[in-house]
Amino acid sequence: MNDTPALEASALHKRYGAVHALRGIDLAVWRGEMFALLGPNGAGKTTLFSILATLLKPSEGSARVLGHDAVRERVALRRRIGIVFQEPALEGKLSVRDNLLLMGLFYGLPLRVARTRAGELLQTLGLSEVAAREAQKLSGGQKRRVELARALVGQPDLLFLDEATLGLDVDARRLFWAEIRRYVGGGGTVFLTTHYMDEAEPADRIALIDRGQILALGTPQDLKNQVGGGVLLLATADDAQAADWLRAHGHAPEPSARGLLLVEREPAAALPRILGALPLRTLRAEVHEPSLEDVFLKLTGRTLEDGAAPPARRAGARP
Amino acid sequence: MRGLLAVILLDLKRLWVDRVRLISSLIQPLLYLFVLGSGLGASSTLGRSGYLHYIYPGVLALSLLFSAVFAAMLIVFDRQIGFLKAVLVAPVPRVAIALGKVLSGAIQALVPATILLVLLPLLHLDLAPPALLELIGSMILAAVTFSALGVATAARFRSTTVFPIISNAVLLPMFFLSGALYPLGDAPTWLRVLAHLDPVTYAVDLMRGAVLGHWAYPPLLSLAVLAGFIVALTWLATRVFAAGEDT
Repeated sequence: MNDTPALEASALHKRYGAVHALRGIDLAVWRGEMFALLGPNGAGKTTLFSILATLLKPSEGSARVLGHDAVRERVALRRRIGIVFQEPALEGKLSVRDNLLLMGLFYGLPLRVARTRAGELLQTLGLSEVAAREAQKLSGGQKRRVELARALVGQPDLLFLDEATLGLDVDARRLFWAEIRRYVGGGGTVFLTTHYMDEAEPADRIALIDRGQILALGTPQDLKNQVGGGVLLLATADDAQAADWLRAHGHAPEPSARGLLLVEREPAAALPRILGALPLRTLRAEVHEPSLEDVFLKLTGRTLEDGAAPPARRAGARP
Repeated sequence: MRGLLAVILLDLKRLWVDRVRLISSLIQPLLYLFVLGSGLGASSTLGRSGYLHYIYPGVLALSLLFSAVFAAMLIVFDRQIGFLKAVLVAPVPRVAIALGKVLSGAIQALVPATILLVLLPLLHLDLAPPALLELIGSMILAAVTFSALGVATAARFRSTTVFPIISNAVLLPMFFLSGALYPLGDAPTWLRVLAHLDPVTYAVDLMRGAVLGHWAYPPLLSLAVLAGFIVALTWLATRVFAAGEDT
């Protein structure tokens, strides 16, 4: 990673009629960095992603990606970026090899070079065995790897990933992220959007976004330090009543799917005091280091899960 | 140029692997010619054979028009499933994407129309080589015009359910106005005025001129009108593709 910006956004705004989707985004991503944009559904991630990836024009502000203006120099910029979209972007009836070959032609490669490049990617990404198979007949994980191969056809300097492992099982995700780490290890830059903290965690830096604004930006540890203590999780016989009692006693509980979350400066000391005085039966009590979820909770009073994560994903291993 | 060829190659490859679409596109013009020609020809003063000759260019136009516009539906489908985004982020000038789509749609429309061309001897239509070349040239120009119409329209749609409904609502009146099935000279004034605004009219007239040897409009005028439509519609499609997700 070096301190030359791969991507710079300055005072970006995007409006869709009355909806103000982005409200003044300032951002810099360094070359060789893996950067994550983390926020719940509807936070403005895909809008920002689409502007930086040349698919949308901002209403105000500017963005430069790899030294190119993201609005005025789109064709030059498109030669240097690769994108893995949230939705599948493969022609299902064509073979995997043809999908990659045609994308090579779209990137201006001569036919022979495009064929060689497709072959290299199939081999690198472990897709040689399914090269002749129709893309629609692949498993979810294989499709994602083909999408990644498609994004790498033009040998991009910067890779955009928009919720790239949405819906994948644990093994498929692990394979996918291994490829991404290999790409970053080779000097590439990654800009990813996600609403899963475990996907954002391996990034060098993370920006938390909500309601079109960047709330915090830093390394995962920097962000966790912002919580300023530890987190208590309490599940009681009646969480609503427990929350009222805790508020009346100077705490700030936040409801979550797993129980009440409390950020405490000295959680190990606070826990026995609370358990001793709480006039309700406690079903579970945990103390843990702050997570990115806790940072988001502290900054917004809401959880990332407000975007309704599929249960299978929550049990997934870290990428 | 490579981008343009990539767009065309992608669409043709997709047509080739989609055998159902390919075969149904080949059968459709035969139905148009023999069902429509026999049905209407029986009651025509021109007689069955004379009427078949008369409507042959009209049937060519019908086949080209519907095949070209429905080839453009792939754009709507691609937008709906997200595939269009992968094309739009490729470093291909937007005009090359629009033109590539127009040309691939025209080629897809010309495939079934070629079947009709092969049937010429069966209709006892004996065209001299210059007339045949003239007819083929007119067919190509008509196919490109209709494809440009389809692409410019489809580029704005997001739903594969709505696009065919709207297309049919527009295409059928365009076809009926064009004089494909009857001589415009005998039509009421209001219909003739509307026909002047319809690109299908000029395409049919060029093809009919090649087949029967007489034109309702000066051929140069028809050529200019169709070329104008192609440029304007391709420009409109280019603008939509340039707007990306802002459309």
